[in-house]
Amino acid sequence: MGERVDAGAGDLAGTPVPEPGSATRAHPARGVAVTAQRWSWTHAERERAAVAGLDLQISPGEKVLLAGPSGAGKSTLLHALAAVLHDDEAEVHGRLLLDGVDPEQARGRAGLMQQDPESQVVLSRIGDDVAFSAENLAVPREQIWQRVRAALTDVGLHSFDLDHPSAKLSGGQKQRLALAGILAMRPGLLLLDEPTANLDPEGVRQVRDAVLAAAEATGATVILVEHRLEVWAEHMDTLLVLETGGGIRRSSPAAEIFTDAALREELAGMGLWVPGRDPLQDLPVWRGGTERQDWTERLGGTGRKQAEPLLLAEGLAVGRHSPKPGWRRAQPAPPTVKDLDLVIRRGQTLGITGANGAGKSTLLLTLAGLLPAHAGSVSATAELKGAGALLAEDPHKWRSADLVARIGVVFQEPEHQFVRSTVREELALGAQQAEVPGTTDPLFDEQQIDDRVARLLERLGLTELAEANPFTLSGGEKRRLSVGTVLSAGPEVLMLDEPTFGQDARTFAELISLLREHVDSGGTVLAVTHDAAFLRGLHASEHQVRREEPVTPDEQRGGERSDPPGGELFGPERSLSWLGRRNALAKLIAVFLITAALVMTIDAVSSGVVILASLALLPLAGIRPGGFLRRVWPFAAGAVVAAWGTAIAAEESGRVLADLGFTTISEGSITLGLALGARAFAIVLPSVIVFSTTDPTDLADSLAQQLRLPARFVLSALAAMRLLGLLAEHWRTIGHARRARGVGAHGGLTARMRGTASQAFGLLVQAIRMATRLAVTMESRGFGAGPRSWARPARFSAADLPVILGGAGIGALAVTAAVLAGAWNFVWT
Amino acid sequence: MSSSKRPATSGRGTGAHSPARSWRWSVSDIVVASVLAVASGVIFWGWNLSYHLIGNLFVFYPPVETLVHGMWLFPAVLGALVIRKPGAAIYCEMVAAAVSALLGSQWGLTVLSSGFMQGLGAELIFLAVAYRRFSLEFAMAAGAASGLTGGITYHWIVPMYAYAPTETIIHITCFALSGAIIAGVLPWLATRGLAAASVLGPLNSRRAHREPRLSLGRAHG
Repeated sequence: MGERVDAGAGDLAGTPVPEPGSATRAHPARGVAVTAQRWSWTHAERERAAVAGLDLQISPGEKVLLAGPSGAGKSTLLHALAAVLHDDEAEVHGRLLLDGVDPEQARGRAGLMQQDPESQVVLSRIGDDVAFSAENLAVPREQIWQRVRAALTDVGLHSFDLDHPSAKLSGGQKQRLALAGILAMRPGLLLLDEPTANLDPEGVRQVRDAVLAAAEATGATVILVEHRLEVWAEHMDTLLVLETGGGIRRSSPAAEIFTDAALREELAGMGLWVPGRDPLQDLPVWRGGTERQDWTERLGGTGRKQAEPLLLAEGLAVGRHSPKPGWRRAQPAPPTVKDLDLVIRRGQTLGITGANGAGKSTLLLTLAGLLPAHAGSVSATAELKGAGALLAEDPHKWRSADLVARIGVVFQEPEHQFVRSTVREELALGAQQAEVPGTTDPLFDEQQIDDRVARLLERLGLTELAEANPFTLSGGEKRRLSVGTVLSAGPEVLMLDEPTFGQDARTFAELISLLREHVDSGGTVLAVTHDAAFLRGLHASEHQVRREEPVTPDEQRGGERSDPPGGELFGPERSLSWLGRRNALAKLIAVFLITAALVMTIDAVSSGVVILASLALLPLAGIRPGGFLRRVWPFAAGAVVAAWGTAIAAEESGRVLADLGFTTISEGSITLGLALGARAFAIVLPSVIVFSTTDPTDLADSLAQQLRLPARFVLSALAAMRLLGLLAEHWRTIGHARRARGVGAHGGLTARMRGTASQAFGLLVQAIRMATRLAVTMESRGFGAGPRSWARPARFSAADLPVILGGAGIGALAVTAAVLAGAWNFVWT
Repeated sequence: MSSSKRPATSGRGTGAHSPARSWRWSVSDIVVASVLAVASGVIFWGWNLSYHLIGNLFVFYPPVETLVHGMWLFPAVLGALVIRKPGAAIYCEMVAAAVSALLGSQWGLTVLSSGFMQGLGAELIFLAVAYRRFSLEFAMAAGAASGLTGGITYHWIVPMYAYAPTETIIHITCFALSGAIIAGVLPWLATRGLAAASVLGPLNSRRAHREPRLSLGRAHG
């Protein structure tokens, strides 16, 4: 299996990159005709229809740009065409047809790509991920790998091994991988729901080119929803503008986007980025900020007064993970940025730019006092600390209350910052947290807090939504609220992480306007960004960070450096040891047999046999004894606790060694305790050995194909495992955001528990959001519809026999030894 | 139960009426349950590690250690409350247990039997009300039942303890108590919070925050 895949990847590695458009594969060049006849859709519980009375006719091969005000039902329509819109209680009228058939009956004819690259990937290796959709359509195994290679070639990812971890791809590459997964179905309709909104400029170009090339090669019909028209407009045939509340407002050649002035204003009014139109043109002229030239002049001391420094970084090195070695990592994680010197001055607008993975966000969190510096220092000047405040130099040592009133952090994902159940409470929180410097007295009284909140609500245009749950706001509203929550405490320095990512033109202009006001009122802005328009809008100077580590081969091929999410827990590499190459089910059976033997009896002899056998088998698993002991010592500690518990709580027998009043410790209870402790330790070892040499994908293949567990559940659990690393990432960021907002980081046990509960809830929200998007991705690739094929067979081979026999042998040996030694102590008596 | 339920229509064509909500799991149900379960498995793993320290709190009288064991039961009730389909409690609890075993758990493969039995306890409560009641008292009952079946497993089915009868009763009672609070009240609060944040869109629990807190003692309408 692995060999075959590798050989294929090797062949591909030598193939040159095809020019866009030249990817002539064996695709049936046939686009789907899309028809809507008085089609309406009303979500359960909503009064108003998401789409009402839609009549539509799209010809095969036509490339349609779908626009419309937010809430006009663009995504609803795409989801319905992809047959992923399910709601038992929704009201549906009229008909929606793909080549004359219901989308539900045309599975595999339409492929859907969504906005968030992370939820477009299903499996942890790129080959498996592309094969997934072909398997779901029950494509015969021989054809699957052929389709996978062709699809990867079409999207320009053929230079990677099929086993390449999908987590190591950049956002743009992940979207191209998603496209490959769609192409492996040989679809006639590509549905693209803001496919490039979450990408950096390089990724945007790559994905657009790959989509256009694929459409060209396959003749597929394309329906695209996208804010940034300049990227796509010239390549599309038709512009369709949906009307809020139903119907089509306009249908015209896409080229009119460039020529029709009225249309351009109409599109801009919907928040779209219209080519050649500056969304800031409607804002008043602004003279603040630090344009680069102006700033250099000031630094040069040409007689103008130099602004006071607020924050200094000297010889700073930063890294996402703690500089201390972790219990699973022998080596401390290396810093991503080193030897950085930076001065942040009052009134400055500064952009931190640089390649993906260069550690910009980490740098921002470190400057904001949310992460410790790896080396060097971050120090706040007296100007920032405020008169009379006896604060430490290093903001990381400050209490949250001191932090929120001085440095406000706006996170890339607004939801990470939300900790209250209404917009009003969110906005009040910062003001409530702020304290008079050097004391624990609140900085604002009730009345002042109410005033601040009212002003912010008004300024942010959220007055109507004051009692709404923050999570239910639209994307643009969430972005404004996230800035508002931070402004509430009145910090002098605002730090923002990619604040314009995925935002429409209207939100962009509103954000710039808010930040300009902050600077005008004496504030300072520091932002990590890829967005040149954002830097221009704030007249910002630019500081480029470069990454320190040498470039790895992956990156030379265009990959982004990122810690493989989940890498710490489930590595994408299979164990190459003898045991690692054995069938997963065989190993599971072996562990089951050993565990069953141990469970039957509580005695030290059988446990001792299993412990010794496990240690003896380490070489077969390619595990070094030292590493193994590091891994299992906590379990030994647990065994001691189990032994102690039994010594105290078991029935008294034999001589009483200690009488504690409410209970006794006797010879019998101690013997029993020791036996239980040894058994607890013995039960752990075989499973640690086997699971650390078993790949989750192989295990899932075995469980579904050999043990015949329901494939829908097994594969979903496997896909969920891929999200683990991302969830861990969210957990960390949500924790930082809690500290930045002054929740739970300090105070008594109750405050901490509330903080943890709030962090856990924040994670739960993100987990379900990701799961919901992933479910749409999986279903739009044909998952769950009917019988499926398997790209990689899972079956026993002769070499798996020793594994099962070995397990049975160890179990039998343990039982025999216990019986012969007279220690046998059967539990079910 | 909800009194504002609209007439249910479904299907692509016009006006095909579907019967009461289906017990078949949709893809969204399966994927959300899987993600919840896998995330819970990682929480188990972290909790397993910290339990080596926390367990010492009960060193003077180990049978009451189960007062915190509700932490190992929450996926069963959370899964049932969020998914509201048969098998959700057992599936979530077992997958969480399996993931913690994959990551390395001090109970090795025996977590599969514990996971099944703990899930079964919660499942039986919701089965008894035909998957129609998900209010606070049923959540707590499910948490407690999960602790009860969990305790039975610990002592008689796959015995991990060898306690005297009194200690055994205390051990199991504390387990059920802990289940009712940590695995009953908390998942119920979380589900309402998630519904209020409107993230449960495709799931049957999407209106959980508008349902009455308790369903007993109320006229059903």
